[in-house]
Amino acid sequence: MFGSLAIALYMLGLTLRNQQLVTVAVVLLSFLTWAALKAGHADVAASGRRLEEKTDEEAGVSLSNLSAMRKLSSARVFEDGEVEVTLRVQNHSPLSKVLEVRDSLPEVMRIKKGANYILMELGPRRETMIEYTVECPLRGFYTIGPVAVRIQDTFGFFHREKELHVYDDFLVFPKTEDLKDAFVKSKVPKIFTGAVNIRQPGPGSEFYNLREYIPGDPMKSINWSAYARMGKVMVNERERDAVSDIIIIIDSRAVAETGPVSRNSLVYGTRAAASLAQFFLSRRDSVGLVVYGDEIVSVDRDTGKKQLYVLLTKLAGAMARGNTPLQVVTNRILPHINRGSPIIVLSCLEDDATIVNAIRDLRARDFDVTILTPSSLEFEFDARRLDRTGYEVLKTERDILISELRGLGAFVMDWEPDMLLSTALAGARGF
Amino acid sequence: MAIPGQTGDTAHLYEGKTVRAAPPSRKKLAGQMKGSKEIPKDAVPDVHIPTFVESMFGGPLVPRMRFLPADKMVQTLQMLAGVVMILLGVLTYVVTPVSGTLWFAFSDMLGVEVLGVVLHLTVVLAALGCGFWGIFQRDARFLLASYVLFILVSLRFASSKVTFQWLPIEGEFIEKILLIMYAVFLVMYMELTNSVIRFSMLDTSIRTGEVYVMNVKKVLNRYHISLVITPVIAAAVAFLTLMINIVIPAIVGLFSEITATRLRESVELTSVYGVALGTMIVFLVVAAVFGANLPARFQKFRESA
Repeated sequence: MFGSLAIALYMLGLTLRNQQLVTVAVVLLSFLTWAALKAGHADVAASGRRLEEKTDEEAGVSLSNLSAMRKLSSARVFEDGEVEVTLRVQNHSPLSKVLEVRDSLPEVMRIKKGANYILMELGPRRETMIEYTVECPLRGFYTIGPVAVRIQDTFGFFHREKELHVYDDFLVFPKTEDLKDAFVKSKVPKIFTGAVNIRQPGPGSEFYNLREYIPGDPMKSINWSAYARMGKVMVNERERDAVSDIIIIIDSRAVAETGPVSRNSLVYGTRAAASLAQFFLSRRDSVGLVVYGDEIVSVDRDTGKKQLYVLLTKLAGAMARGNTPLQVVTNRILPHINRGSPIIVLSCLEDDATIVNAIRDLRARDFDVTILTPSSLEFEFDARRLDRTGYEVLKTERDILISELRGLGAFVMDWEPDMLLSTALAGARGF
Repeated sequence: MAIPGQTGDTAHLYEGKTVRAAPPSRKKLAGQMKGSKEIPKDAVPDVHIPTFVESMFGGPLVPRMRFLPADKMVQTLQMLAGVVMILLGVLTYVVTPVSGTLWFAFSDMLGVEVLGVVLHLTVVLAALGCGFWGIFQRDARFLLASYVLFILVSLRFASSKVTFQWLPIEGEFIEKILLIMYAVFLVMYMELTNSVIRFSMLDTSIRTGEVYVMNVKKVLNRYHISLVITPVIAAAVAFLTLMINIVIPAIVGLFSEITATRLRESVELTSVYGVALGTMIVFLVVAAVFGANLPARFQKFRESA
């Protein structure tokens, strides 16, 4: 702007033969020229190329002797977790420099402590540490970097900028809710003992009923108080636990992201899936995951902590894309899962004409289907993006669909934004 | 309370009624266990669409940032800018006579010459008033108005010669020194008032934790040193260009005294076109320095030393 002003004044001064204007223009131009010289802006001017076209090596002599390193306190955190970042900036030059350093952060990150933007004078052959803490409110794969370094003249007329390509990746898992019970019970006995009650007597931890003693029963199963009460030797029978296959299906279609960034069906769905996976895996069940959006991504059933991390990683990377119908998903997975296994569907139930057919297919094969449906209508209505009439009409349509699904024998819960997962699960099961 | 003739059970309540399986009451389920229903601040993104003027200038002319109360660093700059503004006001009044201005022509047309002087003085005072308000309220709009008014005062038609109407000054050298001082003070005023806004933004960013500044004093010292050195250099360059009617004849005089005398007496060299020639020569040298990439080479030499 000052350059344009100087030239305008100069031209005007010559036109009007006004020495004052010309003198002001000359002084202004001298100011700018001196600032350009001091800022090391000369090579840009000389090459006649735009700064954007320059490669990093050409970005400027004064910035060539700078380097940066970064260290993260953790490469995996849960939503709302914090990551401490330590950035080390080194000046290898024999000259002191006034630098602006900005460590590029993903947009959704919030700085909790410290600052990622520093203005400092870095002495010759010195280094400095910049420490800050970021809060990660949303799940996903994130990258911190590059480090933008800027040097400018003292008047702020010219600047040179360089990006130090230092990148660090980290993963934000969806946050989990502690569940005491998922109210999901398998009806299918399996060979291996596990943790899900299958409503049959057998080796397990939960009390099932009392029966008379049969020779061969272990002594520890005798119920002495029942013996004293009834005069007959009675033993406790326990409910048989078995490894159960739990299949979690997540709707990750583009429509699942309807609503505000941090409050939409996909966010709620992934959090619920993470909580359920953690709960079932802690009970030694096999948990499989299917995420469908523009493609169908599935994680085969497995148990253990490693499986939890695999599932959480898939959930962290779930992107709202595409519009694959649910029936395509069920048709693909049905041949591979055991009949009667509990299936938990996390979907907004919108924009998919195949939902009823898909659930009917599952119920016809005696699968125990639980549907948790975060209502995007509520998200939109809360964010004041939907008027009352529209909300009521859509809500009625949604209620009709939910009733239809319930009629098929599925356990459906219209999951409102203020409802905790445990409450929603209990609600789905009619508790 | 027991009703006579009825048993204690509740079966009678369902007589004649069809009990259907109903979806569970969500409201009841939600119960006491509620999460936050508050809409997060980041839920609705704030998008600023640049105006036509902003897109022309490549950004906002007036910063929208709300500043925190000025700290010592900003207050010092405000005082400095205020002093420079007053000196500039005096110099403007001295260096820019009313003759040749638009309002002078207007008052002359009306036949009331005093009106021209009054209007001229009003413009200078308005520039000072806007500047004063802009500096101490840190309002860039008033500063912009002040720059425009200060430049407007210098706009005169049909005048290629500096006339010092208000002070009985004679002598080309003193005239040019005053002219350079005026130009330097005008540029310094622009820079200092700009820095009031710039450092207010920086100060607010520091205090809100958006930016962290290591060793503020050192950064400020560098700026203060530049505030002294740069005007001196700019004044020297301006002096060289303004004195071109002495410099060129002196150089030519080494070869031919007669040509030098002719040049000295030449109207072109003493007029504004002489200044233009001087500017061209000085900035050709600067362009050659840039063209040969000397500053970068020098910087490279220093970096590798």
